[in-house]
Amino acid sequence: MAKSAEQWSARPNFPQTHYVDSRIYTDREIFGEEKEKLFKPSWIIACHESELPNPCDYRLFTHPAGVPLIIVRGDDAKVRAFYNICPHRGNTILYDPSGNAKRMTCIFHQWSFDTRGNCLDISRAEQGYQNRFSKEDAGMREVKCEVAYGGFVWVNLLDECMPLREFIGGAMDILEPFMQEPMEIFHFHKAHLRTNYKLWHDTNSEFYHDFLHYFNRITGMMQPGYFDRKYTAYPNGHATVGSMQIQYDKYEGSKERAVGWPGLARGGWYMVDLFPGMTYNLRTSVMRIDTAIPLGPNEVVIEFRGLGLKRDTPEERAQRIFDHNMIWGPFGRNLHEDLLGVTGQGRAMREGTDSRWVIQGREENNTIHDEIGMRHFYAEWSRRMERPAYDPYREGKPEPVRAVA
Amino acid sequence: MNRTEQRQAVEELVYRSCLTLDNKDWKGFLALCDDDFRYHITAYSPEIRRDMTWLEQDKKGMDTLLTNLPRHNSDHSPITRHATVYTVELDEAKGEAAVVSALQVFRTQLDGGGSELFAVGRFYDTVKLNGSGPRLAKRIVKLETRQLGYGYHVPF
Repeated sequence: MAKSAEQWSARPNFPQTHYVDSRIYTDREIFGEEKEKLFKPSWIIACHESELPNPCDYRLFTHPAGVPLIIVRGDDAKVRAFYNICPHRGNTILYDPSGNAKRMTCIFHQWSFDTRGNCLDISRAEQGYQNRFSKEDAGMREVKCEVAYGGFVWVNLLDECMPLREFIGGAMDILEPFMQEPMEIFHFHKAHLRTNYKLWHDTNSEFYHDFLHYFNRITGMMQPGYFDRKYTAYPNGHATVGSMQIQYDKYEGSKERAVGWPGLARGGWYMVDLFPGMTYNLRTSVMRIDTAIPLGPNEVVIEFRGLGLKRDTPEERAQRIFDHNMIWGPFGRNLHEDLLGVTGQGRAMREGTDSRWVIQGREENNTIHDEIGMRHFYAEWSRRMERPAYDPYREGKPEPVRAVA
Repeated sequence: MNRTEQRQAVEELVYRSCLTLDNKDWKGFLALCDDDFRYHITAYSPEIRRDMTWLEQDKKGMDTLLTNLPRHNSDHSPITRHATVYTVELDEAKGEAAVVSALQVFRTQLDGGGSELFAVGRFYDTVKLNGSGPRLAKRIVKLETRQLGYGYHVPF
């Protein structure tokens, strides 16, 4: 039966852990708080070490909290991260998204810095600053940086932050056996979308939307073991999805994947969703990494990376690229469908549309169509934001709290 | 056919390839392709400083991809390919032509009909000249545009 305005606005008849107020996807104030409370204290993937193969190679990264960063491999081979902001007049220091720079020189007044963040030279320093200010006072702002979990470069903006290993906890245990060999990036693209970053993470956190994908409807969902895949929740909002065997030959134009992944069963597939907006996705022959960079409550850039093994032969690499593109490339079958889906959510939930609730109520013993992944995310979101996702403005009547399934 | 006529035939082949794809005439497009046709979409990423391949198919693979399109959920906004043939280098010994064309792709929204530039790049075509008429043997779509929003299912 269709709903009246009152019925539409009424809280869903689910426990408060099983739905969220859709204003958390559109409110500018909440978005500002998310940058401070979620993204700044979290460890975020900035790039992969194979993007910085040589000393003095650098890569730019816009941190989800808004800070422009330079990730650079030093002359000592150590990877470090700095603000891409000149300490002089606040200009951008490096403009190109990647390169090699023994000296990082600001184009504005030619102040230059080494790969360890030291200021090397201030133009006409003595004439202008006499003894009041020198290059020793003009270092770059360094932020925490570690290379870990498959050679990815992680950054954290807080000097006093939780250690990376503590932040991740046991969430990467499921993937660690498959990340013992060096990986190498072969694919990178960005998708700029009018939607909220959480909606993308939601899509990566639930498989019920496999109904969106023709490919999955006739492959994964039809196969034994599909409904046995389980979600496992970890502290700090992370979650994993267990494996299954995909029979690619069920899809016309596809075929059983000839190139596998060390240690991974043929056709295997594992996922790790990391709070607040990153996903590791190891599917048969390819590792895909998503990093969400929110630009506003209804605007996000998602960075997509595809990786193979550094030791790949040209033939193996070509096969991995083919496998990646079939499903996950910009012209791939599934990625376009997923991105179209979250863009539609962004359109329906933008400010003023009277979208009210998002239901996350499926319970199937934590298996593949259970919505535990999203519920777990929003439990952590609510804890860190000090706002319940089901009632972010505390307008509703208190309900008995039920533990997240 | 003299060289001018050959060049005209090659140019017309490039333009017909755009028209057939714009009109979703997949069979018409594939009829312009040689049996050994290979199709690639590539792009260079200044971010990772690597050439990337985003799509690679042979003629059979293209046929399957295009035939399967209605089974997927897709953006149904039509796209329009605007090609300008820049150079045609005829190699009579090989019976081939190497053709470079500029490409602009526009997308028109179904609701309201607003058009926007979707992508720019180039076609690098290899055209077979022997037989009944020129046929596409290989097409590399080299994109400058790498940000395609929510993407697209139909090859350019």
